[in-house]
Amino acid sequence: MASNRLRLSTDTWAILLSLTLALIIRIGLIKTLAW
Amino acid sequence: MATSAELPDLRTEYPSRPPEQPTTFLSLLPGIALLAIVGYAGKFVEHFLNTYTKAHHITFPNIEYVLWAILFGALIANTIGLARIFSPGVATYEFWLKAGIILLGARFILGDILKLGGISLILVFIALALSITFMTWLGRAFNLNPKLTTLLAVGSSVCGVSAIIATQGAIDADEEDSSTAIAAILALGAISLFAFPLIGRALHMSDHAYGLWAGLAVDNTAEATAAGALFSDAAGKFAVLAKTCRNALIGFVVLAYAIQWARKGLANKATTAQLENKAAFLWKKFPKFVLGFLFISLLATLGSSTNPTIAALGFTKPQLVALGNLSRWAFLLTFAGVGLRTNLKDLFKQGARPFIVGALGEIVIAAITLALVLGADHIYRL
Repeated sequence: MASNRLRLSTDTWAILLSLTLALIIRIGLIKTLAW
Repeated sequence: MATSAELPDLRTEYPSRPPEQPTTFLSLLPGIALLAIVGYAGKFVEHFLNTYTKAHHITFPNIEYVLWAILFGALIANTIGLARIFSPGVATYEFWLKAGIILLGARFILGDILKLGGISLILVFIALALSITFMTWLGRAFNLNPKLTTLLAVGSSVCGVSAIIATQGAIDADEEDSSTAIAAILALGAISLFAFPLIGRALHMSDHAYGLWAGLAVDNTAEATAAGALFSDAAGKFAVLAKTCRNALIGFVVLAYAIQWARKGLANKATTAQLENKAAFLWKKFPKFVLGFLFISLLATLGSSTNPTIAALGFTKPQLVALGNLSRWAFLLTFAGVGLRTNLKDLFKQGARPFIVGALGEIVIAAITLALVLGADHIYRL
């Protein structure tokens, strides 16, 4: 998962995406998410 | 695949594609869409079968979406094949696995992690020592070359493909040995997906005990997660926790092998140089996504506090439910990827001996870890 400009590891990308999603849920932009 | 001379030393990441093929965001989309379609098809079939059989009063076992997603993926990969346009996106299944594990932190409070993680770590240490010793003996008995034996031992006792790749650099093994060991581990992982839930059900294991066993015995993280989820949602959660503990130890095992091979004068210059700073070596091997998992779990723990000020820092219950569901969606993509990357031809072209050594080793390791888990279940009431 490395782009041309940003060579980040898979772990870093996974952390960035997960924390971003967690933040979006934390501030209430997404209330619930059905499974 | 690159030749061994081109391989960087001590890689910590899973092999995805050679660096000379840059990945753009757009090139990932077809494969990610395929993962979503295959995964959702699995979920749809599970739901459809449950609804249909209930409505028509037919007795039919509940087959989890995990199995359907893997089967559909494997069917596509081994019949029509995977078109090149999908490859970059399908390779992201490891990324979704890690994102899923990090988000799964929302379903654990730190106390649970410490308790179950502590038990897991003790069991991992015992299982690790026994399985490495046994696999090394088995490799010698079957006259496999020492490097292939080492790779098989590490792959089956620590954590599958990533451990093999990390050790390959450290002991300067051939690409062919590494590919053989990876193929053997993947083949056995595919078999364990079917065998483990059957054994767990036959033994009437609890979700905790089964999850712990799957996490300790199944090699690859994706397969361990799937084997757990095939038993139950809760078992999948505990399988991930136990597997994460095992993954966290990868650095120590690779370091031990690197030191051993360096002492024999068989390690390459880069590895010998890196051994001078052992803490940096361990940090390089440490799976960083574990930190994300612990951070989300910390916020879940804060949210459950009875002190309103502390609780305000963490997640509320509906937020935890939303995060848990996000984790399940990420795993859905992972399971589809597990099926799509299963190439039956590759699995059987590796030759019988490494496969037999791997299979015998896996059976013994599964039995050892099962005994350990049942013992721990008896003592700690998992």
